[in-house]
Amino acid sequence: MTPWHWAWAMALGLRVRLLLAFALLGVTTTAVVASGSYFQARTVILQQAQDAAVASLTDELSKVYPIVSLPPNQEELDMLAQRLSDREGDAVVRYGDLWAQSVVNESDVLTPELRQEVAGGRIAWQRVDRHGKHLLLIGTQLRFDRSDGTSVPSGVEVYSVRSLDSEQQSIDRLAMLAWVTGGLSLILAVLLALLAARGVLRPVRELGRAARRLGEGDLSTRLTVRGVDELADVARTFNDTAGTLERQVGELRRMEADARRFVADVSHELRTPLAAMTAVTDVLDEEADRLPGDAGQAARLVSQETQNLTQLVNDLIEVSRFDSGTARLALDDVDVAAAVNATLRLRRWADRVETDLPSGVIARLDPRRLDVIVANLVGNAFRHGHEPVSVRLRAEPDWITIEVADHGPGLDPEVLPHVFDRFYKADTARTRSEGSGLGLAIAWENARLHRHAGQPGSLVAGNTPDCGAVFTLRLPRVASETVDAGGVR
Amino acid sequence: MIGACRTRTAPRRRVTRTLLAVGLLLTLLTAGCGVRPSDVITGRAAVSGPSAGAGLYLISHGELALVLRATKPGPGPSSPADALALLAAGPTPTEREAGLSSEVPSDAAPAKVAPSVDEPGITVTMSGAVLPLSTVAANQIICTVVFSMSGNGATPVTLVGPDGTRPAWPCWLE
Repeated sequence: MTPWHWAWAMALGLRVRLLLAFALLGVTTTAVVASGSYFQARTVILQQAQDAAVASLTDELSKVYPIVSLPPNQEELDMLAQRLSDREGDAVVRYGDLWAQSVVNESDVLTPELRQEVAGGRIAWQRVDRHGKHLLLIGTQLRFDRSDGTSVPSGVEVYSVRSLDSEQQSIDRLAMLAWVTGGLSLILAVLLALLAARGVLRPVRELGRAARRLGEGDLSTRLTVRGVDELADVARTFNDTAGTLERQVGELRRMEADARRFVADVSHELRTPLAAMTAVTDVLDEEADRLPGDAGQAARLVSQETQNLTQLVNDLIEVSRFDSGTARLALDDVDVAAAVNATLRLRRWADRVETDLPSGVIARLDPRRLDVIVANLVGNAFRHGHEPVSVRLRAEPDWITIEVADHGPGLDPEVLPHVFDRFYKADTARTRSEGSGLGLAIAWENARLHRHAGQPGSLVAGNTPDCGAVFTLRLPRVASETVDAGGVR
Repeated sequence: MIGACRTRTAPRRRVTRTLLAVGLLLTLLTAGCGVRPSDVITGRAAVSGPSAGAGLYLISHGELALVLRATKPGPGPSSPADALALLAAGPTPTEREAGLSSEVPSDAAPAKVAPSVDEPGITVTMSGAVLPLSTVAANQIICTVVFSMSGNGATPVTLVGPDGTRPAWPCWLE
């Protein structure tokens, strides 16, 4: 897995997704709740401030009555303005074109729409921003009551300009609180998400680990089932599956072992009667020439077939040793060239085989097994290929290679993968093989039995470029005792 | 082809939607913080209270303007006849300085003010001619009478003089 893949998997991983979902949920909820309460509280704060200011101004203005003289002169207007101004707000008083002196620049502050509303005869107020300051403007006319409940304007208008700084501070505090709440809830959401992710991810990780172990062949792998949720269901299913698998594989193994043991037992049981039969056929062989016609031929046939049967039984015993894992190497330091020559000489092939055997190649291996392999390969070459058959030895620092080639038609590509199968017949028409059908299989097993640094020896079948089969045997220079029972073909 | 298009656009649409939601959230969070300027909010009727002294209407910039004169020690409006006498006398020097004037002739007073006989309203019987009076002058008289009568603003006032009668007219100030 490349770092990119890893980063991508992390980014899309359950943990990150859970984290994002929780954070989004937390932030959204907090934002909605906090902003809702913030706006509500702000409205309430401003409304209360405005109502209080309006009430206070109305209260102050009611003390101005009864008014005894109109029109007011400048001093009267100034006095009224002064009387209405306090530390919370400044008053602006107007009568027609006459404005009371004030710290506030009235034309700058008072909005036309407010003055229009005030001229309409109602108390009106408005929040405005002037030079970065939040101001509340309240305006009203001064009117005179009439006995029927109506009133007439006196022409005097009073405006109060108040700062909303303290309200701004309260609202800022509210906003601050909202942000802090949001931040805390985000942290809480992340913590919860991590907790939830851990709760979900731990069983998933355990499941993954167990599945990997099961895949690697440990069929006894089981998960601990916690809780009753979907993940526990998955764990239970996993356990059931693993249990069934273990049972079935065990059954298969037992059956296979039974079959192998049966073959081994049968082979062993056949050995004793065969030994007796061989003794009898030896006698028959000697007498065959003296027997008349068909009887002599029959005696020779029986003798030949008995030899074949003996060979087959011996091969079966050999194979069952490999299968049961009881095959052991009898290691010895061997001059490979001499060993191969001995094999050829013993079978009277020495003069029919082209050899290229550099002397002095010493290897530590099982000479009997080397003999079996070489005899099998060369015999096979004689049986299925054409002469000349060549045997070449090559030495590497850690390995030796023996190539056995013939000049026959070569191996069919369809046959190649099955050459080392037991009882495999390359020519289906030829039902009766001269060999037992186990020779190459045994050679292959023998090659694999030799190991070096954990790597088994090998026997590979192929074709030479100029038509002809070639078997390449590769054995370690220093073989070690193997514990490998049989091989995987 | 269509399927390919759909698979290509679907994630983009989702991304757009997500961006929109985030944008909306941010707008909600950032905009609208603190004290926002508002429209004009109107409350109850303007502050109103009792007046003291005689009230009469003079003219300021071509419009009627209420003038109060502290001629009487007690609160409450003075009698209509007195107010009309003050009106006929014209603005004081101070008022003249403040830009006030009057179109009511000095011979308008004395006058008698009484409820009308055959119709609802007030009848003002003046000593001077009423027909040559300008509309503004008539309005001055009518509104002054209505203010001092503490009557309804919509009460029609009939001006009667030795030369005839003007049609009844209420004091329209607003």
